[in-house]
Order: sequence, then C-alpha cells, then structure tokens
Amino acid sequence: MLGLGIAKGLAVTLNHFRKTYFGSGPSKGRGLFTVQYPEERLAPLARFRGSLAHLADPETGGPRCTACRICERTCPVGCISGIEGEGRGRERRATQYLYNIGECLFCGLCVEACPFEAIAMSHEYELATYSHDALVYDLRKLAEIGKKYALEGKEEA
Amino acid sequence: MAALNDLFLNLQRWFVGLLARFLPDWLVMVISMLVVSVMLIVTALVIVLWLTWLERKIVGRIQDRYGANRAGFLPFGLLQPIADAVKFLTKEDIVPREADKVVHLLAPVLMLGASVMLLAVVPFGKGMIGADIDIGILYLVAMSSLSAIGLLMAGWGSNNKYSLLGGMRAVAMLLSYEIPMGLSIVVAVMLSKSLSMQRIVEAQGGWFGLRWFAFFFPVGTLAFLTYFVSALAEVNRSPFDIPEADSEIVAGYFIEYSGIKFGLFFFAEYVNAIVVSSVATTLFLGGWQGPILPPYVWFFLKVFALLFVMMWFRGTLPRLRIDQLMGLAWKVLVPVGLANVMLTGLGIAIFRALGWA
Repeated sequence: MLGLGIAKGLAVTLNHFRKTYFGSGPSKGRGLFTVQYPEERLAPLARFRGSLAHLADPETGGPRCTACRICERTCPVGCISGIEGEGRGRERRATQYLYNIGECLFCGLCVEACPFEAIAMSHEYELATYSHDALVYDLRKLAEIGKKYALEGKEEA
Repeated sequence: MAALNDLFLNLQRWFVGLLARFLPDWLVMVISMLVVSVMLIVTALVIVLWLTWLERKIVGRIQDRYGANRAGFLPFGLLQPIADAVKFLTKEDIVPREADKVVHLLAPVLMLGASVMLLAVVPFGKGMIGADIDIGILYLVAMSSLSAIGLLMAGWGSNNKYSLLGGMRAVAMLLSYEIPMGLSIVVAVMLSKSLSMQRIVEAQGGWFGLRWFAFFFPVGTLAFLTYFVSALAEVNRSPFDIPEADSEIVAGYFIEYSGIKFGLFFFAEYVNAIVVSSVATTLFLGGWQGPILPPYVWFFLKVFALLFVMMWFRGTLPRLRIDQLMGLAWKVLVPVGLANVMLTGLGIAIFRALGWA
C-alpha cells in the first residue's frame, strides 16, 4: 500500500522516542545511551590499561619495586626513567621512579616484565594536565594511584 | 469557567476601558492595536525560542540521546535558547564583498516581516484574532507567497553559487506547493462557506466541538493531509528541506548569512512553522473548538501536536530529491487536490439536493 513504508518508519522512530522514557536503559540495549560524563561514569573493564601504578608492599607499606630497572629496559618508547634505589639484596627498594605518561603507549610490557609484580596498569583514565611537566609522574604519585587502584579491589583481575 | 474562557478578551477590554478614561478614542484604538501586535510578536518570539529547544529534545530522543541539557542553571537545558539568542546577537555581521548589499540585507527582514504578518489573522481563541478580516484566508495565502521573494533575494543578493541554487530551488518548490495548498484550502472554504478565519472555525462547532473538517471523510481528511504535506514544503521543513539541503548545497540561500541575519531567517522559519500549524488547526482541526478546556488551550494543544508531528517527520524521513519533490507536487498532490475539490462540490450538491445541509 502507498505510504506503508513511511508509516513503518514513523512507528520505528516513535518507538525509540517512547523507549527513552519508559522501561529501558543502556543495559537492555535500548533507550537513552548517552552517559552524562561528569556526573555518570562507565566502569572500565577489568583488563583496561590506564596509567601505570606502583603497588604497595603489604608488609612495609612502602613500594614493592626494587629498582631493578627491567621495566625501564622493556619500555619500547622509553617513558620510564630516573629509577633510583636504596639498600642491598632483598632489602633494596626504589626511592625514585619517573614515568612520563605523555610518552606512554599503555602497552603494559613493563607490567609483564616486572619480576616482583610491583607495578600494574591502573584504571586511571582522567589524565589531562595543564602543563607538560605535570605529565611526568614520580614515585609518590604512582604509589597514590596504586593505592587507589588497590582500594578498587581489581588488583588481581 | 466562563471567566477563564474569555480571560484574554476581558483583559483587553479592561485595558481599553482604562485608557478610554483619559485618552481620545483614536489614540485608544492606535494603542490597543500596537499592544496587540507587540503581544503577538513577543508571544511568537518566546514560543519560537523554546520550540527550537523542543525540537532538539524531541529529535534527540528519537535518536536515543538527551538533546540540549547543559546550558544555564535551569534543568533540562531550558536556558539553551537564551544562549543561542545571545550567540546570534554577538556574532560578527559579514557581508560578502561582491554581494548586492541592499538586497542581501533586506532579505531576512522581508522574510521575517512576511511571516510575522501572517500572525495577524490567526484565531488563537474565541475572539482572539489580530484582525478579523472577511478574506483572512486570501490574505494568508498572499502573504505566505511573499517569503518566496525573500528567499530569492537572499539567494541572489549573496552572490554565491550555492545560495543562488538554493534560492532557485526554494522558489521552484514554493510555487509548486502553493497550488495543492490552495486547493486543499478551497475544500475547507467550500465546507464552511466563508473565507474568514473566525467563521471557518465557528462552522466546525457542532458535535461537542469535535465537528472538525478533518473528520469529514474522505474529502476533509484528504484535504487535511494534502494541506499538511504541502505546508511542510512551504516552510522548508524536512523531508522537503531541499532549499537548504546541507549535504548538497551547504546551507542554500542563507549560506552567506551570519549572526543576527541568520537568526532572523531561523526565526522566520519557525514562525512559519507555527503559522502553518495554526492554519491547519484552524481549517481542518476545528481551531479553538473543543470540549471542556478553554478555547486557547485547545488551539495551542492542536498546534503543538502538529508541530510535534513535524519534528517527528524530521527525525524519520530522508530528504526527497529535487525531481521527486516536483513530481510529488505536480503528479500527486495537484491531481488529488483537484479531484478533492470536485468531490467536495459534488458532495455538497448531493447533500443540498437531499436537504441535509
């Protein structure tokens, strides 16, 4: 019949219009899909790779990192630098660790290479800054991110 | 209830009575005319501002998103139109170097003037009409044709190939669609035996205010549909937005317009949309007639229902090609309109012979 196609199309759009108000949600695959970002956030997937983070040693509370510099040598873009450590043997712990997130490509090879599981790719993704200098994270900042990441309880994911 | 029905009329009467105490008659008349026209324009402005917001919300919802919901401190983005208006007013006013300056600057003014003048004969409620002239419909058709000149002026005056193309398309389209529009108006005129907007509405008064011409199957229904389709084309609304087809000729006739000149075009377009919805309401949906609610409420309910349908169409239908557009006007709407006029005449003659009308 003439005009049936138009009627079908109108029914489809009206249905979408209706579903944005009644009995719907992004989880059901219909309705409003927009996430109102500053107020609403999507949880990152467990395997999501955000900023690098230093995990805390459960015994001392300090960094687990022993400043062995394997991550620095593994990094394909060289965004990890300035690693310094103190102590000898099993007591050795990192005192400084510079991570330039502006250069990082979030490949996660450093985490793979780490023999002590001292670092992890966190779920931190709001990484904008006002200056280039602020893109270089030091050990304290990385430990903070790690603490937050551990609190989210996704460390083992 | 009666007080509510005549609220605006009584307000006007009270105001005129107040003035008549200390002003001569002619001055009272001039002032009341001025007040009414200013009220019409301001009301139209306010409605248009939030109509753009409504359109963005509705089209957004159709596309599974929120639409404007950020501007200002009010919820739902209610202040978005204000932000838009401020932006229109503060943008740089550019006139192309090779443009025909007078024509270029005059075109938006003419467009807006033509569409605002249409508001004068729209009956918003019982007795709520700017000028109740006996040939209201004729005036309306004549004034709405003026916008074709404005479009061509904008297209020519900008001295840009896209704008000229848009202007030509606009004029071709408007001239074609005026004919089916006129033919469907004729049906309403034949059914009501009057050219006055007020009397056309009054003719649809029976059946508890539901004796609308759109329910006069098949002639009235058909006339309503052809009127609505050609009205969509008249006001350049989707799916007939050929004159400003963004994907083909960028923005058509107003490609060179910036700032408030573009704002005027935009405003005129929305006023036109309101006017054609009002006219469709007046001619086929019983105007302000309806049970229980006050007349002006009924009128605006119907107008906004039609405006919603327009936005719904915009969210649904793709644009017609220019040849399909002309084909629809000349091969479908005009023959249907002519047949409809004949059928209406025949029907009226038969009804009269049987003594029913």
